[in-house]
Amino acid sequence: MLLSIENLHACVEENEILRGVSLQIRAGEIHALMGRNGSGKSTLSKVIAGHPAYTVTAGGIHYRGQDLLALSPEDRARSGVFLGFQYPVEIPGVSNLEFLRVSCNARRQRRGQEELDTFAFEDHVRETMAIVQMDPAFLERSVNEGFSGGEKKRNEILQMALLEPLVAILDETDSGLDIDALRIVANGVRRLALPTTATLLITHYQRLLDAITPDFVHVMAEGRILRTGDKDLAMALEQRGYDWIDETNGSDTRQP
Amino acid sequence: MSNATQSRSQLWLETLLQALAQRPGGNAAGQQASARDWRLPTRRSEAWRFTDLHCLTRLDPTRLHTRTASPRWPEAFRQASSGQESPARLCLQLDSSGHWLGPQGEPPPWPRGLMPLPSGNITPGQVARTLMPSGPLPLGAALNGVTPGPSLGLQVSGPDPVHLDLGIRVEQSQAWLAPHVLLVLEPGARLCLSWHVAATARAAVAPMVEARLGPGAQLEEAAMTWGCPEAAFLGGSFVHQSPRSVYRRTSVTWGWGLSRDEPFIRQRQGQAETHLHSLAVARGQSLLDTHSTVYFDGPAGQLQQRHQALADDRGHSVFNGRVVVPRAAQETDASQLSRNLLLSTKARIDTKPQLEIVADNVQCTHGATVSCLQDDELFYLQSRGIGRDQASRLLQRGFCEEILQRLPQAALSWPPLRSLLETPTPDQP
Ligand SMILES: Nc1ncnc2c1ncn2[C@@H]1O[C@H](COP(=O)(O)OP(=O)(O)O)[C@@H](O)[C@H]1O
Ligand SMILES: [Mg+2]
Repeated sequence: MLLSIENLHACVEENEILRGVSLQIRAGEIHALMGRNGSGKSTLSKVIAGHPAYTVTAGGIHYRGQDLLALSPEDRARSGVFLGFQYPVEIPGVSNLEFLRVSCNARRQRRGQEELDTFAFEDHVRETMAIVQMDPAFLERSVNEGFSGGEKKRNEILQMALLEPLVAILDETDSGLDIDALRIVANGVRRLALPTTATLLITHYQRLLDAITPDFVHVMAEGRILRTGDKDLAMALEQRGYDWIDETNGSDTRQP
Repeated sequence: MSNATQSRSQLWLETLLQALAQRPGGNAAGQQASARDWRLPTRRSEAWRFTDLHCLTRLDPTRLHTRTASPRWPEAFRQASSGQESPARLCLQLDSSGHWLGPQGEPPPWPRGLMPLPSGNITPGQVARTLMPSGPLPLGAALNGVTPGPSLGLQVSGPDPVHLDLGIRVEQSQAWLAPHVLLVLEPGARLCLSWHVAATARAAVAPMVEARLGPGAQLEEAAMTWGCPEAAFLGGSFVHQSPRSVYRRTSVTWGWGLSRDEPFIRQRQGQAETHLHSLAVARGQSLLDTHSTVYFDGPAGQLQQRHQALADDRGHSVFNGRVVVPRAAQETDASQLSRNLLLSTKARIDTKPQLEIVADNVQCTHGATVSCLQDDELFYLQSRGIGRDQASRLLQRGFCEEILQRLPQAALSWPPLRSLLETPTPDQP
């Protein structure tokens, strides 16, 4: 078991947002997480990554058997948990190249790999950028500053490719992308989907799931996972909408 | 302030004036007279409300000297300066007798476009007094004025930009350095002037710059000043701008126990451009104070001003940005922004615009923000494996970058500045 979330409750400023989320993710699996806006998907992803605004009030998360909640956000990342943000943060004045190098080296250090100096890293990052078809000019800019929505998402995929995570959570990385960009993101995800890694795709759209076939599809509502199925559940959702889930609520199938 | 403290500081001032009067070129009689009606500012006066002078008055006036050390010029500067004929840039450093010499102690090979003014033509205060006809000069300029020493006066001419780097390095305790520089830019002349000031011992550095910009002249000034916590900096600059002249000043100040910088710019007939960008990084117990004045006497002048300060530990940043727009200065376009980063509960930021606007047809904007590091930015960096401390340093440097990027490229290799810019080292796991 790579990531195991058990009866997770989390709140922000007294408001409970996650109300008992349970989810098991094994190596080699791709999971999709769907649900209406406001159902708690991003909150779940940020709690996994360790955002300080959220307090876990009950339940827990284990990553490779270890208590993930006991780790700082940076330690979670160094040990292989990656969150692709729904809204990547702009950081004026901090060069994208330096940011990528420092984070890549932090992860390499943890894996016992040798750190890359500025020259070696530039070669490495340029090769990786070619995979996500990103213009090297973005290295000279400040982190995400003035990037279009699509450029920010590509920058997230670039970071994922550089950090080589074991668990990648992509929060609506497909939103706001045109078809070409979507294909690039899908390629990026597929390349990193290995027998030893797992992916959790948070998405609203069937079109990403056409490119990447999930092993499991979960539907979230009001801070819980209401229903779990296979890719057909996503298709059914696409056709019938979330109201259908509400109506049939209670007959949810459990994940094996 | 108690009377006892005040009489102590008065005694300090009198002793200082006597000591300075005995230096070669000093004027004992004149200075004794001036001591009688001159008081050090106290915190009771509005302009010194936040700023305490004890870092300065801890110097022992009876032991003051003028010994300097050789600035650590970056290699690129030395090479550019050693060109045989007309060097691309001229580096001068202040020696222990108050003269400006080349990096090897040689008299400067003046590049084309730069000509020393005969010393008889230089009277300290000559520009300052035309800009501030009445009232006392700012403290730094006043102390500079009573410190005897040779002036550096330069006439700048021709359309090709001339690069001049002035370096001051102090390593011995009780140094008192108050160099005076006068710059006369002929119409259309261009000068790129960089200041590199470093003080590693208990000392005071009080340079005074006076500049007269002819019509269409351009002065680009970069000032990088760093001092140890025992050192004090008192800067006074006075810039007279003619129509169509452009003055750009970028200053970066960090370290120092006390720094008080008072640039005074006056657009005599308006119609000129002034750009002021400053960064103050106050850590430890450092008190960094900028009091700027921009005065428009004629129409259609422009000002762009941005002051950024970062205060951490018990650091304290003070900014007062005075902009004077009398009735004659219609169509003035001035903007002033003060951006501050407050990083500790014991640190302090005091920032105040002081707009004195009488003309009605003008565009004058100002704004001030004080914020701390943003959780979302920190979290984003941490979520990529960057430790919290390192993330915080990256964000702090990102904040400074806005001003630093305006420094000339070559200045970034100045060793003390590198320490401010240093790439944060990864946290040990
Ligand atoms: N930092 C926060 N402060 C206040 N409310 C929050 C915060 N984060 C999330 N919420 C609230 O929690 C609910 C779930 O939000 P979110 O997890 O972003 O949903 P989703 O990603 O599924 O659209 C929403 O009602 C949202 O307003
Ligand atoms: Mg969301």
